[in-house]
Amino acid sequence: MQKYVIRRLLLAVPVLLLSSLIVFGLMRVMPGDALIALMGESGNVGEKELAKLRKDLGLDRPYYQQYLLWLWQMVSLRPGDSIFTNEPIAVSLRKAIPVTLELAALAMIIGLVIAVPVGVLSATRQDKASDYAGRVVAVAGLSIPDFWLATLVITFAAIWVHWIPPIGYVSFWDSPWRNLQQFLLPAAILGYRLSAATMRMTRSTVLETLREDYVRTAWAKGLAGRIVVYKHALKNALIPVVTIVGGQLGTLLAGTFVVEQIFALPGMGRLTVEAILYRDYPVVQTNVMLVAATLVTLNLVVDLTYAWLDPRIRYQ
Amino acid sequence: MPATDPRNRARRRVTRREFLERAGLTGAGAAALAAGIPSRRAVAQQAGAFPEWIPASTKPAKRGGALTRASAWDPPLIDPRLTQSVGLYQFAGLTSNRLVRYAFSDEASGPSDLGLKGDLAESWQSDSANRVWTFKLRQGVKWQNVAPLNGRELTAADVKYCFEAYAKEGVQTFTFQEIEGMETPDKHTLRIHLKSPNTLFPQNLAEPIALVFSREVLEEDGDLKKRLIGTGPYILKEHTRKVRIVLQRNPDYFDKGRPYVDEYVILSTPDAATRLAAFRTGQSDFMWLASASEVETARRTNPNAVVQSYHNTLAPFGLALAQDKPPYNDVRVRRAISMAIDRQKQVDTVFEGHGIPGWGVPYIYYQDKAPTLKELGPWVQYRPDEAKKLMAEAGHAKGFETTLFYYEYFPQMTSQVQLVQQELKKNLNIDIKITKLDYTTYYGRYVEGKWDGMSWGFQSGHAIGLDERTYHYMYSKSTKNFFRVNDPVIDDLTTKLRRTSDRAEQRTITKKIVDREFDQVLRMWMPYDNGFLVFQPHMRNVAAGALRRTDGYGSPTLARAWIEK
Repeated sequence: MQKYVIRRLLLAVPVLLLSSLIVFGLMRVMPGDALIALMGESGNVGEKELAKLRKDLGLDRPYYQQYLLWLWQMVSLRPGDSIFTNEPIAVSLRKAIPVTLELAALAMIIGLVIAVPVGVLSATRQDKASDYAGRVVAVAGLSIPDFWLATLVITFAAIWVHWIPPIGYVSFWDSPWRNLQQFLLPAAILGYRLSAATMRMTRSTVLETLREDYVRTAWAKGLAGRIVVYKHALKNALIPVVTIVGGQLGTLLAGTFVVEQIFALPGMGRLTVEAILYRDYPVVQTNVMLVAATLVTLNLVVDLTYAWLDPRIRYQ
Repeated sequence: MPATDPRNRARRRVTRREFLERAGLTGAGAAALAAGIPSRRAVAQQAGAFPEWIPASTKPAKRGGALTRASAWDPPLIDPRLTQSVGLYQFAGLTSNRLVRYAFSDEASGPSDLGLKGDLAESWQSDSANRVWTFKLRQGVKWQNVAPLNGRELTAADVKYCFEAYAKEGVQTFTFQEIEGMETPDKHTLRIHLKSPNTLFPQNLAEPIALVFSREVLEEDGDLKKRLIGTGPYILKEHTRKVRIVLQRNPDYFDKGRPYVDEYVILSTPDAATRLAAFRTGQSDFMWLASASEVETARRTNPNAVVQSYHNTLAPFGLALAQDKPPYNDVRVRRAISMAIDRQKQVDTVFEGHGIPGWGVPYIYYQDKAPTLKELGPWVQYRPDEAKKLMAEAGHAKGFETTLFYYEYFPQMTSQVQLVQQELKKNLNIDIKITKLDYTTYYGRYVEGKWDGMSWGFQSGHAIGLDERTYHYMYSKSTKNFFRVNDPVIDDLTTKLRRTSDRAEQRTITKKIVDREFDQVLRMWMPYDNGFLVFQPHMRNVAAGALRRTDGYGSPTLARAWIEK
């Protein structure tokens, strides 16, 4: 197991290097310039001033030098400053990561709380009304885009109950109740979207497992239905579900931009998209690398979870 | 099977475009029937019911309370040397002052009142040649009681330092490099020597972006990106990007007793539906809505909301042509293109009847009423047959292929661009390949000024003054001449305007500039919406003036706002 982990970690190095090359290259290929964007909606700056700013920011150096410098900054965990705001990137990340982590964690909890019981219910009552209802809910969750659902929710909440989550993020530690008010609705929307895929997967894997010989044996032994389903079938059915959930967590960390935008939450999504729009190279590069590293780690964690769920699995 | 075969026509597949069109029409029709949405004409009539001006309250102002606004804009940085972004100036005019300012809403006679008032300056005057301007500063003005200023007195040397910094680098260099030198004969007198005469110079110093910032902060930090300390009515207490800006009342503000409101919070809210929801639920005290139908929607839940119908005095967007190159360097081509575009159609459809046909210099500088489409001259009228003739005369009877790039500043803009594309193809056989760009790419390409073909161009949103709107944007050698105007008559007139102090004569010259611009189609303005400011019923003295919206560059007027609760 230890060897396996070390091998996987070593394999992550070329993956991360390739990611760094791609993101660095793509940012340089994109038309536009952070300095022009910096000048605002109506500014105009002479060539001399632009050249001076470029020099100050090291953007006049050859690309390979810029790349190596950035790589060194990443390795030494000093990602530098934002071109656009001058703020150290580490500070921006310290502000944005807790927001996205909280949103992702809540969404994941809500998603799983909906998905697993409904998926199991759907499987154990195959082709009954509750199964159809569960599948309709799942298909709706997969089909409805989150920007539309979020807009609809916020609009009708304002009209019907005269309430929307308080705008202006506050951290959980400063005001837990206000923070939860801000996060529950967006997390529910994200969670519902996530639950759809998980629920469908849970349903099909539980259905498959329920047809296994050992489950038939459990029924034959006269075990209670609850024990057969939850203790014997569900645990084995969860391996593909865990794979999906691991992937979803990665997606959540990198792709909550729309919901963050609508609910005015200052998370990683907004930070990254804004940085892309303003060609803030260091911020985009750092964020992408962070997401890449998180995905690599998550994949490893998911793979290691398999052994816990199914003791037959061995790592070599 | 040929496409002319009737069977084939009857049974042919519906194209994607047709499907979307039909689905859209069916959906819109069904939705309108279901919701009882009034027609565009009806909406436009309702829009006319809202006042253009909200007079100042006659009651005595009340102290206290807090204002909140959900804002689309988030200032990327707070250094006034480096940005003209509305994100910054939606509040910077409340933390800092200018030497002179425009009338606040409780002083103005109406939205078009552009009378100059003293801000940090008590009085100002020029020499007979309009080259030397002397500003007498208000005495006893203190910087905010925040380190490192700690409430020390403002002096003329502070203003001199600030203007020198503006001239040295950043986005305001063109304005401040006009200064040849400055002297401070005493603590409260600033004498500015200009390189050439300019009677309109005080207007440039009244622009919302010409804020006086503190010397100490720039010297200590090397820039102004982290701290904004001024002499204004509000102290910047918090600026958390993508979250909020908190302004707190400055107890040492020189205008004693003001401001009335204790706190003004701007919440970063990038989504329009969320901003509307915030207003509906009382989380936001005022907001901007582009169309009359949106106002009607908002008033269904908030019937007591106060609405100001905002009438634009200019259009900031137009069809910019590479007029220094063929075929656009031929005035006949420019005129033909202009006549092939139906502006009224855009006003009626895209802006629901509540828009202006488009002109570039604020009309209030040369006439009392907004020009009608007819008054804008022959080349702006929709006359496709004459346009065709002119194109033929110019040797382009068969049309040509060209490109157009734009950034969608607001959703209606895409409809406008597509209408223009359709009309130029239909009327002049000009085949336009449209490229929609992201902001940074668009902005960089547009201001660089080396593009070919067409662009959906802009002029700055912040400018109020006549000098900025004429000389700065149209003079051939100006760095802000984004439309690439190069016309000796315009150069001559805009320079002459700066040398004329007589108000009536200024109006005459401005009208000549406008007439010349339309005659030569130097900047082809496109229709623009008027929009509405919607306030919670408890807000007082918050009306927007021409060219300065309360939620944007006109925010300094909030120094006089108060809450009746």
